[in-house]
Amino acid sequence: MKGLRLLRWSGSVLSLRTRPCCFIHKYQYQYPAQPLGLLRLQSSAAAPLRTVSEPEDDKEPRDSTDYTLLPSPPPSRPPSSARLSALHARLVLPTRLPLEILARCLVDPSADTNSNFNNASLSLLGSDLLGYYTSEAIICRYPRLPTEVMKAAMAAYCGPKTLAAITREWGVEVAAAPGREVDPGFLQCIRQEAGNASVNGTGTQVKELQTAADGVSTRPDAESPTRGWRRGASSKTLYGDRFGDEIQRTETDYAERPELRKEEAQRKAKRGVTLEQASTGFVGALMGAMYIHAGKKAARNFFKAHVLSRHLDVSKLFEFRQPTRDLSKLCAREGFESPVARIESETGRKSRTPVFVVGVFAGKDKLGEGSGSSLDEARFRAAVGALKGWYLYSPLEVRVPSEATGGRPWEPVLVDGGEVVV
Amino acid sequence: MPVTALRATSTAQNGVGAFILQCKRLDFHYCDKWGSSRGMNTFLRSPLIASFAKAHPQIVIHISPRPNAHPIIRGSYINGREKVICVRNLEKEQILQKVELLRDANGEKVKRVKGGRVVGSVNEGVRGVWDPFHTKEYRGIG
Repeated sequence: MKGLRLLRWSGSVLSLRTRPCCFIHKYQYQYPAQPLGLLRLQSSAAAPLRTVSEPEDDKEPRDSTDYTLLPSPPPSRPPSSARLSALHARLVLPTRLPLEILARCLVDPSADTNSNFNNASLSLLGSDLLGYYTSEAIICRYPRLPTEVMKAAMAAYCGPKTLAAITREWGVEVAAAPGREVDPGFLQCIRQEAGNASVNGTGTQVKELQTAADGVSTRPDAESPTRGWRRGASSKTLYGDRFGDEIQRTETDYAERPELRKEEAQRKAKRGVTLEQASTGFVGALMGAMYIHAGKKAARNFFKAHVLSRHLDVSKLFEFRQPTRDLSKLCAREGFESPVARIESETGRKSRTPVFVVGVFAGKDKLGEGSGSSLDEARFRAAVGALKGWYLYSPLEVRVPSEATGGRPWEPVLVDGGEVVV
Repeated sequence: MPVTALRATSTAQNGVGAFILQCKRLDFHYCDKWGSSRGMNTFLRSPLIASFAKAHPQIVIHISPRPNAHPIIRGSYINGREKVICVRNLEKEQILQKVELLRDANGEKVKRVKGGRVVGSVNEGVRGVWDPFHTKEYRGIG
């Protein structure tokens, strides 16, 4: 796998941003209908200064040091922030990742809609990296994991809830309100109003006002109320995000209609974001910043140290409906003899607390064993044990694709067929 | 639907991958008038605090006067709690010990762990739980 030559295209991200002239932004924030930042994809050129036609009746003096209208701390602030330096040291970030970039990672798009100063672009890159590293780690370690369980494991490692916990455990605090005067070591976002807050002192709650106009589902049957409840595994794969959750709009939609993205940003800036969303953006942005500034290896190590090292018992994520049926289908698919349950031992059959130990066998091979206070319970547990034994197979030596740069040649890893389709 | 999944969250194991020092801020309060701050004032002027700050860049250090009161050190922790130690009449070396105590604390309330040497693990035991149904073949030996 060839490494990307980042320096050729990420010059605009690597260079530290300065507000070119704050009166431009002043008008921008006064008139938010004006077009926001230019799209400059894959360019190493600095952002051109946009000339904004000044209203003629404006007599205010131009003061380039007037930061009063900035929505987030100016880029000159980070070196003097003790909180930010402490965060940099606490996470043992490399010196190649400057404080200014760490400060930018902490600015949510809801706080500063200017994409040159918020973490949107970094977080887009970082969340993709998080998804890539997590999915390859899970798939290579458990090659037979069912799709649904794999998505749940993805969510457990890098879902919004986990990233919010990671942010908290890093000691990152959230600013009460974003602004230029806020310490850049705080996570800056506009918080969404609580759902049970009352609207203008009336008895109505915020959540009662919210309509379904938040976003449009990409599912083809979204409009049909009778079929909208179907959420199969393949539907989640097709129309869901990497955790199987429904996504409102895809990148294709944004590419076809770019104004949707602006609408989305404005809606978020108006309504605010939840702490989970802001934390997700921050961790993703830091991951992206590590990748761009410190390189792929450092980003991988950072991911391993902070995300993959967390504890997750994958065997606790399974939920079987009919394990005995699944097991017989699995045996049929794999060419084993059909499974038979046999009592191995029992005690107190006539008593108040009987215990049966049941094993499932395919021919002479014992697939699993379970104990329970009734024969059916023991049989189901034995089938669950057998299924988990199959699905949780893990090869001894695992080498993931992202580690296959240089050195030893890449050997393909085993990825099995997954779950049985019943 | 053959198998569905339950949603869970992975739990942190501080030190398994990265280690995050739980103490994130130390506030030093001193008084210029009271004699109980003599050791604290010496400590703040000595290279001890500078070397401590240099060795622990992950801790934010604040120094501020607290007139007409005993000197204290306040540690703030990632779990949101605080730990305060009054260092009146202590010498600078003793104060450094207190600072190290605050640095090493995790901010939790001090609790007594019952049962003597308790070793906790999130992983299941390799041998499994003993149960009487699998001991038949060993019955004759013991």
